[in-house]
Order: sequence, then structure tokens, then C-alpha cells
Amino acid sequence: MNEQASFNMQVLDALLLDYATGALSLPLEVLVETHLAMNEDSAKTMNMLMKLGGVLLEDSDPVSLSEGALENVLKAIEDDEENPALDTRRIDTSDGFLPRPIADYIPDAGHSSWKRVGIGLFECDVVFEGDKGRAKFYRIAPGTAVPSHTHTGTEVTLVLEGGFTDETGSYGPSDIAVQEEGCEHKPVADNDGECLVFTINQGDIRLTGPIGRVLNLLVN
Amino acid sequence: MDIKNENFDFELVTDDPVSLTRDMGTGCDNDNAKGMSRWDIMLVRVGRDRDQAAFAALFDYFAPRIKSFLLRLGTDMSLCEEIAQEAMIMVWRRAETYNPAQSGASTWIFTIARNKRIDRLRRENRPLPDLSDPAFAPETAETGEKAIFRQQEEEKIRHALKNLPDEQAKMIFSAYYEEKSHREIADESGVPLGTVKSRIRLALNRLRAHLDEPEGIWKP
Repeated sequence: MNEQASFNMQVLDALLLDYATGALSLPLEVLVETHLAMNEDSAKTMNMLMKLGGVLLEDSDPVSLSEGALENVLKAIEDDEENPALDTRRIDTSDGFLPRPIADYIPDAGHSSWKRVGIGLFECDVVFEGDKGRAKFYRIAPGTAVPSHTHTGTEVTLVLEGGFTDETGSYGPSDIAVQEEGCEHKPVADNDGECLVFTINQGDIRLTGPIGRVLNLLVN
Repeated sequence: MDIKNENFDFELVTDDPVSLTRDMGTGCDNDNAKGMSRWDIMLVRVGRDRDQAAFAALFDYFAPRIKSFLLRLGTDMSLCEEIAQEAMIMVWRRAETYNPAQSGASTWIFTIARNKRIDRLRRENRPLPDLSDPAFAPETAETGEKAIFRQQEEEKIRHALKNLPDEQAKMIFSAYYEEKSHREIADESGVPLGTVKSRIRLALNRLRAHLDEPEGIWKP
């Protein structure tokens, strides 16, 4: 395994652990949850991490609840017995559709929130409540090269459809690519179809190529 | 009684009109049902029979552990109490969806408490995933075998955790008990981010290796 692949595996495990413990920001949580719906190996790891949580919960030293806590709870469950509200949903992994967590956020291709930001390149802002990072969808036409750019913060990208290749490797559906702060990269979409990605950036993007420097003037 | 009947007989379940409503494999009237812990059985009773005594037993065991777990995360005392109670109310409401073949009671309750806590700390009220979702349960073995298999897995996780090198175990405990993201662990411990990630990767690999021991041991 090359250095980059091993780096990617480390980042993935760290993100999975953060997800299991509930430590992720909302955009990253949505990203990881979508990845889990698409990737069986990670779903298995998540199963293991939730079991680990159960083991650690059982091994915790108990701290007594206040007087009458059980009575409170029993009263509450009697009150709502007729109309139990479930706080869960299924993750739809059926073919041809994006899984639920991300499908809730992505607009149709023709929607006005998609903005053309280059030849064969469309972006769409995703707004999360209380979110400090920047979350975007990108649609990249087959074979299109995204202008070379660098980051002032870490960028996490999940491939939803199609694939792309950059200096760090090739990525396909369900793959997560991480660009560390200061890294420069120039992703090129695969030739066999449009590439759809979900990207979260915890800093600003600076375009670095010759065209990029001109575009920077527009960004800033 | 032949060997098969020493486990709870799932074929009988299909003759039981109550259990027919859900494919839970919960025809476990025998408290020594193989592969199920005492708490798994209690939780099945809550879901199937709406058994308040079983619920009270679960409450007495798990509520003080949830509270303790949350206190370690630095959550405010009265909020811990509230979340612990709300989590147990959710245990009652959702017990019907509990599948002992997929997770132990402690794992299932851990995920409920985790979701409840995220829910309370976040403004955006997003429905959280369900562990019984097929996307999180890629295994395909028969229900009875799965219950035994997954309980052995929990024991193996406990064992593997005890045998982790200190610096790796520290990452796991910081993540679960202090709810630190891997980035926060690095920031606060002074251990470089790359080292944190590689330790998490090594720890998860050790845990995964314990679960992937030679096939044929648990399979019939």
C-alpha cells in the first residue's frame, strides 16, 4: 500500500470513530453517514464501533439518577403509549438513487442553486444550520479538469457518482478523499460519466494555476 | 432435546401470531436462550410484550450508566439526567424494532443514547440513523446463529480492547469517554495529528482482526 492510500485509510478510520462517538460537525456527519450507506466495509467497521460503545457503556461505573426518575419515565411512556413517535428513518440504498442522508440536501441538476463556475464545472452551496465549514456539491463533466487549487483548511470530499483522479490517486463512488491544509491539487473527472461529489472545506480555497490566479480575484 | 432445540427454536416463532408481525426472531421464552444476554431478553420482552417490569430492570441497569457516560463527556449534571431519562423513554418506544440478532441490548441502547445526546446538543433536529437499518447490518447468516455470533463478537471486542497498547487504548477512551474528535485529541494532547490518526488506525485494525478470525469457528 502506498503512502497516500495508507494516509486515506487512517483518515477514514478517524472519521468513522468520530462519527461513532458523535463528535462530528453536522456536514461531516452527513458525509460519513452517506459514505456508510454506500460502503459495506465501513458499515462493518461502524457496527464494530457501535458494539465497542455498548461495551464501554456497560463497563461504566453507574451514577444514580435522581429520586423518582423511573416513575417519571414510566409516566411519560404511559402518556405517549397511544402515539409513539419514532425518531428514525431508513437509509435508502436502492440502485439509481443517492442514499437518504445526502438526498435530503441535493437539488435537481436543473435547479437554480447550481451555478456554473467553469467549463463543465457546476457548484451548489449546501447550507447547514450553525455550520462554520463550507459544504458544496460539485458536478464535473466527463474528462473535465478542475482548475488547480490549494486550501487554507482541510477539505474532505465524498464521491457520490462517477469518479476523479488527482495527484493523490483515483477515487470512485463512496470513496473519501482528504486534502490537508496547504496541499495543491488538480482533480480530473473520469471520462465515462459526470462526476458528482460532496465537499466540505474548513477553510478557504485558493486557486493556484495560471487561470486560477485570475479566478481568485473573483473569489476574493 | 436435540442440539438445535437447545438454542431457542426460531421455526416455532413463525407459528406465533405475535412474533409474526415482525421478523425479530424473538420467540425466546427461555431465559437461557443461547447467544442472548439477560439484557437482550429483557429488551425483547419490552418490545414484544410491553413488559414494564422488564423495562424497570433495564432502566435500573442502563440509566445510571448512560448518566455516568454522559458525565464523563463533560455534560452538565441536570442535562445528563434529562438525556438519560429521554434515552430510556426512547428505549421503550423503539423496543419493538430491536433485533437481538443484529445487536446486543447494550450496543442498541448506546446508539439511542448517542443519538439522543446529539439531538439535544444540536439545533437542527435531524432524524438519526437506525442501527437495525439494513445499511448498518450487512451480515446475512440465519437469525439464531447471528445472535450467538454477535455476542461472541462483543466478548472479543472487550478482550481486544484490554489488550490494546496503552497509546492506542488512550485514543479510543478519549474518543468515547471525552467525545473528542481525532483533531481535538491531537490539539489537546500535543500528539501530532498524523500520529493520532495512525494510532486510531492501528487500534481499529487490532479490533477488526479479532473479529475476523478464521472462518468456520462460529459458522455451523
